[in-house]
Amino acid sequence: MNDETPLESTALDARLAALPRELPPARDLWPAIDSAIRPAAPARHRWPLALAAGFALAALGAVVGARLAAPPATVAAGPATGYVIARRETRGDAELVATRAALEQTYRERLALLSPVTRAEIEHDLHLIQSAQEDIRRALGRDPNSRVLLELLGSTTEQEFALYSTVARTTEPFATRTRT
Amino acid sequence: MQAALAEVVDFPDAAAREALDDARAAEAAARGDRRAFERLYRRHAGRVHALCLRLCGQRETAEDCTQEAFISAWRALPAFESRSRFSTWLHRIAVNAVLARHRGLAARLETTTDEDPATLDRRTTVDTPPLDLEAAIAALPDGARHVLVLVGLYGFSHEEAASELGIAVGTSKAQLFRARQLLTARLGLGTEVT
Repeated sequence: MNDETPLESTALDARLAALPRELPPARDLWPAIDSAIRPAAPARHRWPLALAAGFALAALGAVVGARLAAPPATVAAGPATGYVIARRETRGDAELVATRAALEQTYRERLALLSPVTRAEIEHDLHLIQSAQEDIRRALGRDPNSRVLLELLGSTTEQEFALYSTVARTTEPFATRTRT
Repeated sequence: MQAALAEVVDFPDAAAREALDDARAAEAAARGDRRAFERLYRRHAGRVHALCLRLCGQRETAEDCTQEAFISAWRALPAFESRSRFSTWLHRIAVNAVLARHRGLAARLETTTDEDPATLDRRTTVDTPPLDLEAAIAALPDGARHVLVLVGLYGFSHEEAASELGIAVGTSKAQLFRARQLLTARLGLGTEVT
C-alpha cells in the first residue's frame, strides 16, 4: 500500500521527527483559564448547599448541645439552653472540655478534605464565632452572673459545636474513602 | 503507595518522575487547588498547543482550543484515574476540543472540509516549490491531517486515532498513507504523485 520509495520514506520521517513537539501559544492562556475555573465570588457566609443545609439542621450539634445542657448525672427534663451550657463552660466542666477537644481534632483533620474556597468560608465563620465568644467572656469578666451574657455564650458554643459536627458529618464519605 | 515510595526512592527515569509529579498535581487540582493545576498548565501547554495547532491548522483557533482543553480538563479532573498518564488523558481532551470546534464550524458552513484528493494531486507536481513542513501539514485535507498529527507525530496508534476521530482503523491507515503521499509530493521529496 505504501508507494513511497525507501529514500522518500526516510526523508519524510526524518523531517517529521525533527518537528518540535512543543509550540507554546503566543500569549499566556493561564489568566483566561484561571478566570474560567475560578469559582464565583461567594456571598458572605454562603457555603455549598450540602454544608449550608447541614449547618441549618445542625442535628448532631443539637444532640451534643442537649447532652451538655443536662446537669451532670441527671436526665435533661427540658430543651437545652445556652445558659446551662455556658455555666458548665465557665466552671471548666470536664465533659465539655473533652467534647470540644474531640470535635476540634476531627474538624482539623477533615478541613483538609474541603476545597480551599469552602475551607476559607468555614474558617471565616468559625473566626466570627470565636471572636464573639471572646467578647462575651470579656463582658462576663465584668458581670459574671449576667444571664443574658451566659445565654449568648452558650449559644455561641452550640454554634461552634454544630460547625465542627457538620464538617465531620459532611466529609465522612471522603474520610472513609481515603482510609481505604 | 507509589507516592510514598517516591519519597525515599530516587526515580532515575525523568519521564517517570514527571508522570508522578503530574499525578500528584492532578490529585491536588481535583481537590480544588488551582495552583497545582497551573503547574500542570505550565508543563503541558506547549505540547497541547502544538497538537491543537497542527490539528486545526490555524493559530488563533489553536489557542482557543488549548484554552478550552484545559478548562475541560479541570472540570473532568474528578474522573481522572492516576493509573494512566495525565499527559495522555489531557491530549485526548485537546483532540476532542479541536474536533468539536471543527464539527461545529463544518455544520455552520455546510461545506465539505475535505478536498477532492484527485484535484489536489493534479495540482502537485515537481515544479511546485517545496513548502515548509508545517505549512504543508496545515494544507492537508482535514482527515489526512488529523491522522498524520495523531499517529505520525504524537504516537497515537491507529486504533486510538480511529476511536478519537470516529473512523474505522482501516480508514485511519488509508488517511495516513494519503497524508504521507501528499507531503512527499509537496515537499519535493518525490518525483511524481501516482
